[in-house]
Amino acid sequence: MACAQCHDHKYDPITRTDYYGLLDAFNRLPETGTPTKFSARIRVAPPMVELPTADNAVHLAALEAEMKAVEAESKPVIDALYAAWKRGLFADGTPADAEDLPGKLPQLLLTPEAERTDAQKKETERSLRQFFDSTVKRTLIKTLPQEAKYEAARKALDEYKGDQVPLLMVMSDDTPRDTRILDRGDYLSPVGEKLEFLPPAFLPPLPEGFPRNRLGLARWLFLPNHPLTARVQVNRMWQQFFGTGLVKTTEDMGVQSEYPTHMQLLDWLAVEFREQGWSRKRMHRLLVTSATYRQSSRVTADALAADPENRLHGRGSRFRMPAMVLRDIALAASGLIDLTLGGRPVYPYQPDQIWEALAVTKERDFTYPTSHGADLYRRSLYTFWRRTVSPANMFDAANRQTCTVRASQTNTPLHALTTLNDPTWVEAARVLAERSMKHTSGLDGRLAYAFRRVVGRTPTAYDLESLTRMHGRQLAVYHDDAEAAKQLVSVGESTRDESLDPAEHAALASVCLAILNLDEALTRE
Amino acid sequence: MDDLHRENIRRVTRRQLFGSAGMGIGSAALATLLARETAAADTPGQAGLPGLPHFPPKAKRVVMLWQGGGPSHVDLFDPKPALIERGGQDVPESVRGSTRLSTMSSGYAKWPVVPPLKPFTKYGRCGTEMSTMLPQIGSLADDLCLVRSMNTEAVNHAPGVTFFQTGSQVPGRPSMGAWMSYGLGCETEDLPAFVVMTSSDKGKTCGQLFFDYYWGSGFLPSRYQGVKFRNTGDPVPYLANPAGVSREARRALLDDLAAMNAAHLADYGDPEIDTRIAQYEMAYRMQASVPDLVDFADEPQHVLDRYGPDVRTKGSYAFNCLVARRLLERGTRFVQLMHAGWDQHNNLFTQLEEQCRDTDAPSAALIQDLKDRGMLADTLVTWGGEFGRTPFGQGDPDSPKGRDHFGKAYSFLLAGGGAKAGHVHGSTDDYAWNITADPVHIHDMQATIMHLVGIDHTKLTFRYQGRQFRLTDVHGHVVKGIIET
Repeated sequence: MACAQCHDHKYDPITRTDYYGLLDAFNRLPETGTPTKFSARIRVAPPMVELPTADNAVHLAALEAEMKAVEAESKPVIDALYAAWKRGLFADGTPADAEDLPGKLPQLLLTPEAERTDAQKKETERSLRQFFDSTVKRTLIKTLPQEAKYEAARKALDEYKGDQVPLLMVMSDDTPRDTRILDRGDYLSPVGEKLEFLPPAFLPPLPEGFPRNRLGLARWLFLPNHPLTARVQVNRMWQQFFGTGLVKTTEDMGVQSEYPTHMQLLDWLAVEFREQGWSRKRMHRLLVTSATYRQSSRVTADALAADPENRLHGRGSRFRMPAMVLRDIALAASGLIDLTLGGRPVYPYQPDQIWEALAVTKERDFTYPTSHGADLYRRSLYTFWRRTVSPANMFDAANRQTCTVRASQTNTPLHALTTLNDPTWVEAARVLAERSMKHTSGLDGRLAYAFRRVVGRTPTAYDLESLTRMHGRQLAVYHDDAEAAKQLVSVGESTRDESLDPAEHAALASVCLAILNLDEALTRE
Repeated sequence: MDDLHRENIRRVTRRQLFGSAGMGIGSAALATLLARETAAADTPGQAGLPGLPHFPPKAKRVVMLWQGGGPSHVDLFDPKPALIERGGQDVPESVRGSTRLSTMSSGYAKWPVVPPLKPFTKYGRCGTEMSTMLPQIGSLADDLCLVRSMNTEAVNHAPGVTFFQTGSQVPGRPSMGAWMSYGLGCETEDLPAFVVMTSSDKGKTCGQLFFDYYWGSGFLPSRYQGVKFRNTGDPVPYLANPAGVSREARRALLDDLAAMNAAHLADYGDPEIDTRIAQYEMAYRMQASVPDLVDFADEPQHVLDRYGPDVRTKGSYAFNCLVARRLLERGTRFVQLMHAGWDQHNNLFTQLEEQCRDTDAPSAALIQDLKDRGMLADTLVTWGGEFGRTPFGQGDPDSPKGRDHFGKAYSFLLAGGGAKAGHVHGSTDDYAWNITADPVHIHDMQATIMHLVGIDHTKLTFRYQGRQFRLTDVHGHVVKGIIET
């Protein structure tokens, strides 16, 4: 629809009015995009809500109590200071620095104490204390040890709050902005009447009684007669499981899109999705249990020539899996993976200085806070993602600058370097090796075990023969170089069973690394 | 099959013929396009698109010496006696007009002229006038093409850099280097076709963040994006073998791995497996070629001296300039060297000269080195940034501290690769504010750079979200006046 931001769409029936009519559903957020400092690391743009966990609440209470305690400790000292300051003010009979005092204070103080009314006395005392607390105190108590303690406690509380309490960025519809067509998309040139949310005219109209906001939009999207929602979604699911959508251009279902290869199937799947109550899980099951999905990926030269991209699904599709999945596979095969559902983002292994190169200001902390323990092995989904620098080992990840529904799948040498040398994979390989060494004692059994855990099938005689030869060559290397063996089996943070022979372990770890790098292991087939 | 379906299929056939070919109408173009998509995809060291280059290129390689932040054209490249005479006086309204300025200075009530910091001098036989702060670059004047009529709509860094690199102020489009890699392919199998290096001024006082979309592939497949060499650790992440793995042990492992993959290929028949085998081989070669690239042991002392005292400091501008030359020698097509340090709002009087000192020698050394090796003729060197700086001072009008961003007119240098040598193109008014002859817009410069590498900028397109996109969008003219005939 982006074309229609400036002019009616050249091909699809989308007008400028459609574009801005839809925009209005979202054009009601108080968001300004200006981030607020939350901690040394974190800046977030409002609106958001704080969602402290139970653990957060305990921590916060403790930090607050500590702050209170320090406050109580310093109160008598500060009171004494106040008394002294007040005395000093009248040291030579007339109040000093009267011109610096705010509001009515100078006038009040010039009235001799005996002549003040009770109300004036009260007012004087209140104003003096207020002035003292807000202005004078800060300079006087700077050097007090209690003050340093208090500041430290306050900082700890703020830092914890800003850094550790989950924030949820929310939308808030309280003040709708005026939506007008912008001439050629220029935000300085609004034209025409104020618009209210309406769906594009070529799609089903907004039913009577639907609110003209995001709720209305959401309900409208799921109308049973909406021709796009279900088709677009099932097409994306198809892409996820088969590599290419039934309509190849998953991001564009307009007249410029590619025509569906199997239109009736797309229609049927769309209706099925709707009738199954929009359950994605059911659709996933339907797709992966289909005969089409379960076909072998073997291909003859003739079939390859007839349908090089396998758009007709005469064979099982074959494509390299996304880097996030490859990492999960390596972690799962080794048994390192932590499958806990939900939780805070984690910071698995990354090359040194991955963020520091972006440090334009010293005020902000750009160190990469590498996780430890189980957090190193959580599913890739939980990896913290800095928008300007994607994790170095998640190749082909969308760049997060524009909307991408079709991530590119490319094969470059840099990917090979990642899955061969990244400590994530090397550690997974040496842990998998350890696991298979503990599983059984014979070499064949160990190789078969590791192979099956990665590739998901029993190795053939040829596979075993190859792996055995590979193992022999690596073992020779590590027999001769005990130091190298020790280094290889110490990659990563997880503990190692030191009773295992380092040379044996290193050789098998090398083989496991090779297995993780087999084309068959990197590819869905 | 119902009539609607039949009708759709008929229409689709026509649409595919006329639409998706993109490079021209007709079934022949469609056939070549399809052939490439299926056969050549993902082959390392791959060829470019069929039919490219569109004509014999003058430049086989490009090295972009990006001077981020906006070097002051007023102080360095565009001498104006009037600015010296009228120092402290306001730039008149008749000159300023409705020029869009950054919000830092757009609300000013006074526009006091700040004269160029140092004198200009005539360099070379051609007599091109440039600042005495750039003596080394100046000494190469007879090889340079100085464009004094660059202009951009951008008023701030990120949009400005994005505009120059990708043709749009809004991120998301492929960068120039990505377009070239996509169109022309890769000449080397051991090194990436498109490499990026970054550096900044030593004090980091004028630094700007470099976002990776400045060398991104946008909607092109991600293998066309620039490979950024890191300034710490391995230049390429995960380049080194894990601890305890020797090159020999790795070689043996890869041989056995390749054998198993080959067997799998025989069984499954998917040519992608062949690609995978080649890709692992190339990775192995890169493990040797990249460290070799940044190892200057084979450079003679007089060459190292040319690049100045910082040449051994990893991540410095000088270091990157020398690596750039070594990359170009080894077949890398596009080197994008991003240097931050010219954004002198508050410290022009101290920083400008320092910045010139740190970049002058390395920039000139690179050009001279290319010349000595006979490579300058077919290597295009560009030197410049996203905009220039205001002729008036920024800060207190009575004692300005610097200059603000200025895009209405600024200067840009080209050398080699078919750029007209010893030439000055375009001119500005007495205040270096308005262009008076031969304007060169960002899109024009992009069109010209593409032209020099043999690409017709109107023909290299990519279909995304239902339309053909190109680097120059619907704009840009090749500037014949800056091309050697």
